Amino acid sequence: MSGPLLETKLLAPRRRRTLVSRPRLSERLSRGGESALTLVSAPAGFGKTTLLTEWLAEWMAAAPAGERSVAWLSLDERDNDPALFWRYLVAAFDRVAPGVGSNALTLLQSPRPAADAVLAALLNDLGAIANDVVLVLDDFHLIGEREVHDGMAFLLEHLPAHVRLVIAGRADPALPLARLRGRGQLLEVRAAELRFTAEEAATYLTDAMGLALTARDVAALEERTEGWIAALQLAALSMQGRDDVAGFIATFAGDDRYIVDYLVEEVLQRQPDSVRTFLLQTSILSRLSGPLCDAVTGQDGGRAMLEALDRGNLFLVPLDDRRRWYRYHHLFADVLQAYLLDEQPHGIGELHRRASDWYEEHGELSEAVHHALAGGDFERAADLVEPAIPELRRNRQEATLRSWLEALPDELFRVRPVLTMGVVASLMTRGDLEGVEERLRQAEQWLDPASDRAAEMVVVDEAEFRTLPNAIAMYRAGIALVRGDVAGTMTHAGHALDLAGEDDGLARGAPAALLGLAYWTCGDLEASSRLYVDAMASLERAGHHSDVLGCSIALADMRLAQGRLREAMSIFERGLQRAEQSRPGIRGAADMHVGLSQLLRERHELDAARQHLQASSELGEHAGLPQNRYRWQTAMAGILEAEGDLDGAVALLDEAERRYVGDFSPDVRPVAALRARVLVRQGRWADALEWAGERGLSVDDELTYLHEFEHVTLARALLTRYSAERDERSLHEVTALLERLGQAAVDGGRTGSLIDVLVVDALAQQALGAVSAAQASLRRALSHAESEGYVRIFVDEGPPMAALLKALAKDGGTGSYVRRLLAALDGNAVISPVSQALIHPLSARELDVLRLLGTDLDGPDIARRLFVSLNTVRTHTKNIYAKLGVNNRRAAVRRAAELDLVARPR
Amino acid sequence: MTTDDEAGGYEFRVRGHLAPRWAAWLDGMSLTNESDGTTSIRGPVTDQAALHGLLQRLRDTGLPLISVTQLDPSSNESTPTPRRTAP
Repeated sequence: MSGPLLETKLLAPRRRRTLVSRPRLSERLSRGGESALTLVSAPAGFGKTTLLTEWLAEWMAAAPAGERSVAWLSLDERDNDPALFWRYLVAAFDRVAPGVGSNALTLLQSPRPAADAVLAALLNDLGAIANDVVLVLDDFHLIGEREVHDGMAFLLEHLPAHVRLVIAGRADPALPLARLRGRGQLLEVRAAELRFTAEEAATYLTDAMGLALTARDVAALEERTEGWIAALQLAALSMQGRDDVAGFIATFAGDDRYIVDYLVEEVLQRQPDSVRTFLLQTSILSRLSGPLCDAVTGQDGGRAMLEALDRGNLFLVPLDDRRRWYRYHHLFADVLQAYLLDEQPHGIGELHRRASDWYEEHGELSEAVHHALAGGDFERAADLVEPAIPELRRNRQEATLRSWLEALPDELFRVRPVLTMGVVASLMTRGDLEGVEERLRQAEQWLDPASDRAAEMVVVDEAEFRTLPNAIAMYRAGIALVRGDVAGTMTHAGHALDLAGEDDGLARGAPAALLGLAYWTCGDLEASSRLYVDAMASLERAGHHSDVLGCSIALADMRLAQGRLREAMSIFERGLQRAEQSRPGIRGAADMHVGLSQLLRERHELDAARQHLQASSELGEHAGLPQNRYRWQTAMAGILEAEGDLDGAVALLDEAERRYVGDFSPDVRPVAALRARVLVRQGRWADALEWAGERGLSVDDELTYLHEFEHVTLARALLTRYSAERDERSLHEVTALLERLGQAAVDGGRTGSLIDVLVVDALAQQALGAVSAAQASLRRALSHAESEGYVRIFVDEGPPMAALLKALAKDGGTGSYVRRLLAALDGNAVISPVSQALIHPLSARELDVLRLLGTDLDGPDIARRLFVSLNTVRTHTKNIYAKLGVNNRRAAVRRAAELDLVARPR
Repeated sequence: MTTDDEAGGYEFRVRGHLAPRWAAWLDGMSLTNESDGTTSIRGPVTDQAALHGLLQRLRDTGLPLISVTQLDPSSNESTPTPRRTAP
């Protein structure tokens, strides 16, 4: 729904006057305080809502003011859309604890909000509130979207103890009920308990409804209705003011008819025609107000009628304190609709049209569309939906949009190009490319102003129509990209860019980024980085801050390949500033820290690199783009490697590979290749070559930018094999490959890649005994690397590189840069494992685990804290026990203290 | 050709007699009040989605549902072949 949320849905229904107090049930509900979930599950008319409002009033009254609060959400079928559902859920909490939903709401407004991230932000804030909260979701059976159920399961799993969830509905929700039941975390109130007992029926009929009944009468009614409250209510209404109550009961008890049928007929018969007509005509409305009823019935006095019905207890539920909005009891509304369908089947369309008109005038689009569709007026529905598409998409209400578009007949789209593009957008969002091109052509044929069919075209949203050429080209570019068609992506994105106005932020930014992506994939970094700079400026203008951050990562990756380390650094720093200025926890902020960490590692500032990873984690998962998790692990693996913990680095890279999420960026530094490089350092060149074999890499390959990093990795593996096997012929193949790689890097302006190639080449020439060639390569690498502050690319090579650098220094002509690298290489030897009185010293990662073993955290918590799997933690723990010679956690912690392995908490 | 799961006819049996006016509300199904105090509701059902839609409508009446039976399309409609029964 575009427009604001409906306040009435967030109010607990008012308590009715005539009530039966049900201590057996309210006590049960109050006692269930330890249950995370309370389920009130029963068919219509069993008093679910009434019971909850009653109990919550008592529950609130039982504690000092301000200590408890009730958040309420009455659902209807329009809420069966994840985007809308979460907005309402957050709003319900926000009403009772102002501000508690603000982070979650901010996330919901961002592009591509993930339900888990939104809920994590909400849970985080809920954890901080001081009072007890009960959240009621009434009529939850109307929600069928799996995404909502999954999200609710997640919420339940993490709900803080002072927040209790109550779900009421006619069907059991698709939540892990059996598991909750097994853990004693589920309190259920079902039909059997909700039915009125004989005593409750007696109290209701005689005290609350003021009927003079004998015990036998009450027993007969209770038996006939089986304690079904709605039926008893209807029976009481039928009996009020009747002379022969006993006769009525006798006839009713002996009748086989559906109770509600029988009783509603009794009740309706006793109403004046005007009331009967009013009830039937307004039964199509899910909410009733005086003016709306007037519009639908074409009469005056709707408000007075509603008040009279309310007083007469005719199944009207007031929705707000001021009694402006009501609804019929669901059961009653269904029966009335059955009457209406039977008696006036042809008048219903007109009633819906009037309701739709009224809602449109009052700015409630969702209801207006609902009634247009329900009344079969598809043209009208289409006219309403078309101009609403942009906002629905901005609000990510894809499910709502889809359900509306699917309800419209096909022929309608043939003459409505803007509406057709709505279908395209909906299909593309789901990744469903089938039939998209056909739709695009369908929309495109209307773009020719000279067409002789132009008069047939229907366009409601003229502004959107003007953007169609750009949009069509963009979708074609998107499809080409998904299909891996780089040339097609370039053609269509370029076309879209030509069609975009100079100042139109999004229309320009999106194709520029896409075109940049295509050039990047081809290795033309000059063109791609220029386009990304353009795209970022445009997206910034359009206010798409999170997308700007996403582009920052890509641009920095390009700068890295170009060997422009400092520029990459300032891209991330600017990104971080942007994130801080726009809003806290914006998606992409965490990624900026990870990017910085990787660059700092290259500059050998390992402490600072670690701190940025820490900062990234502290921002929380919702501040990271989907790729951030694996990038974080890759960055951490780099730090561990630099600290000498190669096993830990490989384990983390294994995790990273499992968590790899591709966006459409070319995967120019694959995790598997990074892992192979660490294997090479471990001397496991055979394993690394196995990887190269799986990837089908060989020294004779034709070279492309996409495989450049892998080929340099292959060269490293082969060089290490040479040091073991001394097969000179193979080494010549390596230097030949490196020469070709170097030339390709120079041609493509990829100085970063060139440095990587030259480092390996220097080592290879050295191994061949070609000292001057080795020195030449190294000098070249140094000349490119010095001004940008590269360190680790040399230092990671260890002793062979130290020897080369020393030789270079001896020959003179090298300055402070080489001395700095040598100092780092020197320190490198002693950096790793701190002196320990152990034969097998613990790795840095094992020390991390050991430190956490000394806390109260359990295995899964430790795994989460270190961003590794539980299995990895178990492996580390096993190694720690073995190295310390212990066999349990407590002993390990004690031994660690004796050996002074773990810093005492300060 | 319809598959087994999408075959045409279904019969729902509910406890209590339902007035004929409900036929329109139940998508034009035919209603028969049986002598045992139940109502059988029969008619064509397009597919599984329509079947679940009808079940939801029946749920919303609060009528106790006794059984759901798929009618064998090849045999006479008045003798349902029970294939699937829900309590």
